[in-house]
Amino acid sequence: MNHSEQASYYSAHSTEDALDALHERGANAQVMAGATWLLREPLRAQPLSRDYVSLSRIEGLKQIVVTDEHVRIGSCVTHTQLARQLRALPICRALELAASNSANPAVRNVATVGGNLCAVKFPAADLVPALMALGAQVQVRSRDGVETFDIEHFLAIREQLPPAHFVDQILLDKSTLASTHSSHARLPLRKAGDYPVAIVSVAASVDRQSLIRDIRIAVGSIEALPRRWTALENWARGKPLDVLAMTEKARDYASQFQGRDSVEAPAWYRVKVLPTLLGRALAALVSH
Amino acid sequence: MPIALTLNGEERVSNHSPLTPLVDVLRDEFFLKGAKTVCREGFCGSCTVMVDGRAVVSCLLPLGHVEGADVETVESLASDGVLCAVQKAMVEHDAVQCGMCFPGMVMSLVAFFDDLHKTNGAPKPASADVKAALCGNICRCTGYERIVTAALSVSDGIHAQRNEEQS
Repeated sequence: MNHSEQASYYSAHSTEDALDALHERGANAQVMAGATWLLREPLRAQPLSRDYVSLSRIEGLKQIVVTDEHVRIGSCVTHTQLARQLRALPICRALELAASNSANPAVRNVATVGGNLCAVKFPAADLVPALMALGAQVQVRSRDGVETFDIEHFLAIREQLPPAHFVDQILLDKSTLASTHSSHARLPLRKAGDYPVAIVSVAASVDRQSLIRDIRIAVGSIEALPRRWTALENWARGKPLDVLAMTEKARDYASQFQGRDSVEAPAWYRVKVLPTLLGRALAALVSH
Repeated sequence: MPIALTLNGEERVSNHSPLTPLVDVLRDEFFLKGAKTVCREGFCGSCTVMVDGRAVVSCLLPLGHVEGADVETVESLASDGVLCAVQKAMVEHDAVQCGMCFPGMVMSLVAFFDDLHKTNGAPKPASADVKAALCGNICRCTGYERIVTAALSVSDGIHAQRNEEQS
């Protein structure tokens, strides 16, 4: 038995229906998307025990829509969909790479972008650093309407949001990304299964003198939460995009990360490989 | 609440809870033992089946998510005792050993070739493509090379057949 007697499942047919269902179920309600993370909970000795409201049948949440201003990604878009549809959108390269290489094909066919953003205890979610590097905004829907958060703010407050809400869309600003190149690198290990032991996503723009105008570096799986590497970003701005120099500086700054111990890899190892992984992401960005 | 689905072409109803992993329903209620429960974490691929034409790990898919869907297991592939092209290639290349991972391997490859056929109509993948398609299927017996060779022979067979039809 993977779930307790108290657990329940409801499949919502629209966003309004989902919000009503979440309201009715109160504090025990939990949103379910692809469910690939939630169904692992029994392995961690946590049988499913909540009132689950599934978004998986809401067609409107499974679309990627490109408008004049934004790339709008529905929260139930799968990794496979992202990988395929973003191939035609080079401004989203880091996200396309993250989605193409996460887990394995059979998981990518089901796992969703919203699930990656909301799996609080999952530090190795590939899409999150990519979205951070691309400066994504997260649109959250509740009965009060929609509210949009910068992704880093969303990650900080996601556990404090009221129970009756869900991630509706992820927005990428086309004008900001128009002059940006991005990339994504992950380090899998055989003993770590499908979870990368370190993830780096980078997005950068350069000026006419080939100096870095802006750069966003996001690091995942090293610590419990993904985060930007702001010290390295600040150092790099105004300098040439020199892969070797940045990798060398990353070695100096790597101790800014604590690392996390797990069965997949020790903390020191994750921190140790980080500069090399950053170098790979930068090299791919430059060559692309 | 009973959940209806199409299973290997037949309309079926399950009385399991919608939170039950699909693989348990397949094995315990419908006695389709091809999909195996091994890691239950989506790592090994032994439970791979197809849902609406896409390969999925049935250990991580709640039954409720497949209501009304078309579910295909390895048991559906051979018709009237005639193996499908992927199954045949595995036998011909002597790629099958203990069999634990094989139903999942075969389902991943069938989905892979179906997808190649749909997206570019000329399914002739490179070895790296086959390896990427199988990266979620772990085999502890064979070392993979014979499996990959067998998979590549499937596309050769399809192309030979197509050339024959065109000439």
